[in-house]
Amino acid sequence: MTSVATQREGPARVVEIRGARKRFANLTVLDECSLTAQEGEILTLLGSSGCGKTTLLRCIAGFLTPDGGEILIDGRDTVPVPVNRRPVGVVFQSYALFPHLTVAQNVAYGLKMRRVARSEIGERVEKALATVSLTGFEDRYPSQLSGGQQQRVAIARVLVLAPRVLLLDEPFNALDAKLRGTMQVELRQLIKRLGITAIFVTHDQEEALTMSDRIAIMRAGRIEQLGTPEDVFDRPATAYVADFVGASNFIDATATGGAIALPDGQRVGASADGPVTVMVRPHNLAVTQVVSNEGWRGAIGSRRHVGALMEYEVDLAEGRRLRVAALRDTGTAALGVGDQVRLSVRDPAACTVYPRS
Amino acid sequence: MTARSLPGRLLDEILSGRGVWPAVPAIVVLTVVAVIPFFILLSLGFSDIVVSRGVIVSQELSLRHLATALADPLYHTTFQRSLVLALTTTVLCALLGFPVAYLFLIGTGWVRRAILVLTIAPILTSGIVRTYSWIVILGGRGVVNSLLLDLGLISTPLRIINTQWAVVIGMVQIHLPIMILPLIAVMSRHDRRLDEASANLGASRLGTLRHVVLPLSIGGLGTGAALVFTLSYTTFVVPQLLGGGNYLNAATMIYEQVVYSLEWSKGAVTAMLLMASCLAVLAAITWATNLGTAWTRAARR
Repeated sequence: MTSVATQREGPARVVEIRGARKRFANLTVLDECSLTAQEGEILTLLGSSGCGKTTLLRCIAGFLTPDGGEILIDGRDTVPVPVNRRPVGVVFQSYALFPHLTVAQNVAYGLKMRRVARSEIGERVEKALATVSLTGFEDRYPSQLSGGQQQRVAIARVLVLAPRVLLLDEPFNALDAKLRGTMQVELRQLIKRLGITAIFVTHDQEEALTMSDRIAIMRAGRIEQLGTPEDVFDRPATAYVADFVGASNFIDATATGGAIALPDGQRVGASADGPVTVMVRPHNLAVTQVVSNEGWRGAIGSRRHVGALMEYEVDLAEGRRLRVAALRDTGTAALGVGDQVRLSVRDPAACTVYPRS
Repeated sequence: MTARSLPGRLLDEILSGRGVWPAVPAIVVLTVVAVIPFFILLSLGFSDIVVSRGVIVSQELSLRHLATALADPLYHTTFQRSLVLALTTTVLCALLGFPVAYLFLIGTGWVRRAILVLTIAPILTSGIVRTYSWIVILGGRGVVNSLLLDLGLISTPLRIINTQWAVVIGMVQIHLPIMILPLIAVMSRHDRRLDEASANLGASRLGTLRHVVLPLSIGGLGTGAALVFTLSYTTFVVPQLLGGGNYLNAATMIYEQVVYSLEWSKGAVTAMLLMASCLAVLAAITWATNLGTAWTRAARR
């Protein structure tokens, strides 16, 4: 109904969800959920299990019908469109390859269902398999492929139909950690090269940060924040997002006169006075060996080697614990459990502030 | 560990559950009730016997009974009738059973439970009882004829009982659960995400049924077909009771030869022919099933 209006502003809105609602029995899974995916972007739905991300994906695909709201694709409401007529390709978590069909037959399946001419099917299947580097695997059955190859068949099977939107439901879950990283980069490059609009569901924040142009953080059936990976990581809109994406420390403080005094004496700006929570990332905290009794002090409670970083847990005098991450270079590596340390915030401007009730 | 006596060690070995020991009781029972009688049957079929006062007085090796049977036109028509009846029953059971199994697949909670109860309950009732109830239903003054007469659709009772149609109806009803159960076993393992993937790729419900559900059910259809064929090819209760005594199939023929005319050698030959032809059809069913499930045996990487 507003398709004309939506065309005027910025990049085309390929998928637009307006106030989608879904309940199972008496559990609300989608609660007035609204979201827009723009032409050619990779949009990630990120959230813990039960946040509604998979339900939203299944509503877009048509496996579920929302109780209310609209799901527009290219400005047209898809809710009345049956699942087999939506311009949407789904890559399933377990790939859902047809076990009784060969790789080539799996990829040809959609074309056959759409009654594409036989000669054209062969050509398009060949091209799709070349796109995912599976030429030569045509006659294998899915059971004869590795996890990564199966995933590529699943992708080729939907790409061959040139869908308007690609939906990916935790496609890396079934892969081992090492392969996962490679496939994430490869899949992102492939989607970008083909210029397809993709909506991608995951509970893994690192995967989301690697893969996405924009991330929608979901919580209890709503979008908590929608932004670029930098936005959600550096400027989390709510304490929930700050807690969910990346490691974080929360420090209770009070804003007075438009500023907050941090425990180390530095000040950050505040928009309103009152009790607040300040979020500091572990890598934005620094620890140094104590030389005097002054300043913000604590004791090293534990330490852990994480690649190039050393992660400390620092016990504060008032009984709280803070996480500190330091690059493992000069000086810091000498700190041991029990050492008295002085804490400071490296960059007060990188802290985010949330009102506390 | 102290050294144990031989019987003690043997007992340990038997109770360990390793090797062939767990199958020994079944092997013993089958040897006594099946293997030995089979060889007795074989020896009866391939010999000339002179029986006097119920005792075999002479027995000589002979192919006479087999040659007679193979040349007898009555054998040809009887075996042909048996084969057609069993194949018809098998095909009808598959055609009627598959939709029930599909309903089980797409159904939820109570639909699935209802199908299971309705499938298993008849198996718990004796085949003879079920066959007699068909006499009540299909008889001249039975339920079907009364209903049709009352509705004015017919003026005289239809002759259903004691015809081949009654036999076919009875055979299908008796054997249908045997077809449905292996199909349900396949359906309950079926991954519904394959159906979603199929729909997402553009298939209608019918397309998914034809291209995904049906090919993945071939194993169950094959098992069901093998069981139904074997049972319906060799049964004599249903043809005997619903065919009205004038419906002769291979099994009723054996019954008559052995029980009424006491021609044991003839009966033995008929039984062997029945078994051999049954195995031939089973081999064909197995071959067709394997053809349709080749993907399950594709070499692993």
